[in-house]
Amino acid sequence: MKILSFTFILFLLSAISYGQAEQEKKLKPKRTDNYIHMRGIRVGFDVTRPFMDLWTKGNRYGTEFSADMELMPNWFGVFETGYDAMKIKTSYVDYKSNGNYSRIGFDYNFLQAENKDEKDIFYVGMRYSFALSRQQVDQYMIDSYWGTETGSFGNQNYFAHWAEFLIGIKGEIFNNFYMGWSIRGKVKLNVKDLGLPPVYFIPGFGKADKGFNLDFTYSVYYNIPWDFRKRNGPKAKIKK
Amino acid sequence: MKRVLYLIFILMVVSACKEVFEAPPQSLLQASFYHSETKKPVSPVITVLGVGIDSLWVDETAMTEVLLPMTIKDTTRFIIWLDSKSDSITFVHETTRKYDSMETGFYYEYKLQSVRFTQNRIDSVEIIDSLVTTKWNENIKLYIHPLPAVGN
Repeated sequence: MKILSFTFILFLLSAISYGQAEQEKKLKPKRTDNYIHMRGIRVGFDVTRPFMDLWTKGNRYGTEFSADMELMPNWFGVFETGYDAMKIKTSYVDYKSNGNYSRIGFDYNFLQAENKDEKDIFYVGMRYSFALSRQQVDQYMIDSYWGTETGSFGNQNYFAHWAEFLIGIKGEIFNNFYMGWSIRGKVKLNVKDLGLPPVYFIPGFGKADKGFNLDFTYSVYYNIPWDFRKRNGPKAKIKK
Repeated sequence: MKRVLYLIFILMVVSACKEVFEAPPQSLLQASFYHSETKKPVSPVITVLGVGIDSLWVDETAMTEVLLPMTIKDTTRFIIWLDSKSDSITFVHETTRKYDSMETGFYYEYKLQSVRFTQNRIDSVEIIDSLVTTKWNENIKLYIHPLPAVGN
């Protein structure tokens, strides 16, 4: 009797797993026919940059715009640019830094489309990033038994560059409008050696004394649906 | 809705905590006291006054070592009372401005070049470590004469 019941359970399990395999087959059709495509250019605005003050030390705020387009199926070329400013005012230091930064790179999408209207992507990406910036210490104060000494450091200009590795999603919320987040690891490549004081803040990167910074972005996008590559671009090769 | 409120609460806590900035570190010269004959540590009652300053740095405290602040000039001078007997001690040093961070600010480090002193109570001075940094360690040894025995 036991053997009979075990056989029945095994049969039931195999029937369930067969059913699931069939279901998966239906859900994941061949990839070559199911790339997620995007017409034209998608422009974005990072909504977190003006509020960086909430989670960074000092007073930091910025603005960042992005543009990406499909270069070939699943590969998106990306350009991001922004402005970033940092101020610290304590009893001992009055510091300010600001500058522009840009990033160029690509995103690779992992998701497959079930139908041609599906536009959501889950991606990994890489960026080469650089910043042109300046910093200034308007006043510093050193307090001791012998008295208080104050001084300042004039304007210092500098260049810095770094690489970014990211993971994120972009999902279409309604027609041509997208929202998405990314988590970014930033690896410093080089920054100009200024002597005293050294570079404290790199726009788009963060604190300069760290070799690695982690960041989070949340952006809204609009896909300008003008397909200027209609005849010759990747779209022409798409099978429908 | 609960999640949104929770997020706002977290952000408020983070923003409330973030504006805590420490004072910059301070480089202090450490002088230790030793018996001029036995070379053993002693703890005289000391008072220290910086020359040109109105307030005392140390006021009648028994200690085996004292931490002394340096000036931003190239010499630092103190009047030091050791069990009520005073001596003057002058440190000649190089002064270098250093950066700690933009949150804490700047400070000075010193390289001790020589020490001049009167010999009322002080017998001799030995420079152990000429670098006066924020990591306080014994920089000089002050060998002091023993107090004369008090008769009945």
